Amino acid sequence: MVTKSEEDQLNRLEAQVDNAGGGAWEYLCLVRKLKVRRPDKVLKHGLAILNDSKKRSALGTEEWTLCEQVAVAAMDCQSLDVAKDCIKVLRKRFPDSKRVGRLEGMLLEAKGLWAEAEKAYSSFLEDNPFDQVIHKRRVALAKAQGNITTAIECLNKYLDTFMADHDAWRELAEIYISLQMYKQAAFCYEELILSQPTNPLHHLAYADVLYTIGGLENLQAAKKYYASTINLTGGKNRRALFGVCLCTSAIGQLSKGRNKEDKDSPELQLLAVAALEKDYKQRAPGKLPLLTSALKSLRVSS
Amino acid sequence: MGSGELRYEIAQNAYIKLVLHALKHKTAAVNGILLGRLSDRGDAVEVLDAVPLFHSHLGLLPNLEISLLLIEEYYGSKGMSIVGYFHANERYDDTELGGIARNIGDHIFRYFPQAAVLLLDNKKLEALSNGKDRSPVMQLYTRDSSKNWKLVSSDGSNRLITKEPTANVVLLDYMTSGKWQNVVDFDDHLDDISKDWLNPDLFK
Repeated sequence: MVTKSEEDQLNRLEAQVDNAGGGAWEYLCLVRKLKVRRPDKVLKHGLAILNDSKKRSALGTEEWTLCEQVAVAAMDCQSLDVAKDCIKVLRKRFPDSKRVGRLEGMLLEAKGLWAEAEKAYSSFLEDNPFDQVIHKRRVALAKAQGNITTAIECLNKYLDTFMADHDAWRELAEIYISLQMYKQAAFCYEELILSQPTNPLHHLAYADVLYTIGGLENLQAAKKYYASTINLTGGKNRRALFGVCLCTSAIGQLSKGRNKEDKDSPELQLLAVAALEKDYKQRAPGKLPLLTSALKSLRVSS
Repeated sequence: MGSGELRYEIAQNAYIKLVLHALKHKTAAVNGILLGRLSDRGDAVEVLDAVPLFHSHLGLLPNLEISLLLIEEYYGSKGMSIVGYFHANERYDDTELGGIARNIGDHIFRYFPQAAVLLLDNKKLEALSNGKDRSPVMQLYTRDSSKNWKLVSSDGSNRLITKEPTANVVLLDYMTSGKWQNVVDFDDHLDDISKDWLNPDLFK
């Protein structure tokens, strides 16, 4: 996950490099650090450095890190010849390396040779059953073939051992959501909130899932988690503000005719509406009338 | 007239917007809403515009509900309504219309019984640069009498066409120039409201 300022910085660097303004190495390092996926740019600029012997030798030992980065990007762009060349170079330099072996496994994946890749990964895991990256490659392998059930099984088994891997929990949650298995997705977000209670994105995703499942209790819980997201982000998260409005409206609809105690006070919704309108007035004034009339239809009538 | 004989005619800009959106997020599933109306003679659904929606968590309701509210609010005042839904699967060889697409399609169907669901056809998209195929790189699904979304066969019947016959040529041109980078969807808007999901300057 990347913050907005990190993304802005990355985009600025990317534009600079694209326009031949230099900074290719800084850009590639930032991409690596932030773990974002920009394969076409990495391939283009990384390969340019690798093919320039002066620039390449200036990197020293970082040359091999770049080689690895370009290999992965090449596979992502289906430039398998480039990937093969990079891996060959790495293999020559590091003949016994498991890390290079992983790349060779990935190349099998990229070629669609699923059985061979599975074999390679299984043998790696025999030698080292705690290789997290290989475990996750097996999940990716299952997912790429469309065996989503196998992917879920592998991921669950992985998380039994490596339960602190937040990325894996998020991936599992997203897979569940794509299959509309919302209760299971909710469980994943609960784990994430337990281990990273101050990360607002987990609260937000959890609230979204609860709202999707529906029912009065879930809507009330969703509202609480939208509220905690707003709290943790200083009121800046628009999705949470909208979420509060939706929840209040849905709760109001469901509790029509019930006791007054079940009805929420409208204050939170009014505050959320005010915050949204202020935000739109400042940054998207053309859309403000649209927003106002749309939110009006969400106002709960008591 | 039931959906059995209806034609679906999609305007070039709507069509291109949806495909470019899918190309912007190659590694994710994406979706979009089709706007338009029934033709005067009632024999076709004219898809006049499209709004790209999301590239993550397509199966979650809150953002979908907000986007539909705002979309209906805007297009209602322009005399258009929501006439269908577009979906592109995450994987290249996944040609199935999944549960999320069917559910959203069902929801739209309740308000517009001639609704269409369009699924991006990755193989056709890939073959675009080879052929002179003028048919859209999408598969058409309509609701049949047993309330299921059925694939409308594209052999010969031409029930899904682009309004402008040059649409694929223009699309190919935009693909080469990397135009997809400029597409704004609802996810982008929610992250930064100064980004306009109407994409007013996309084709200027």
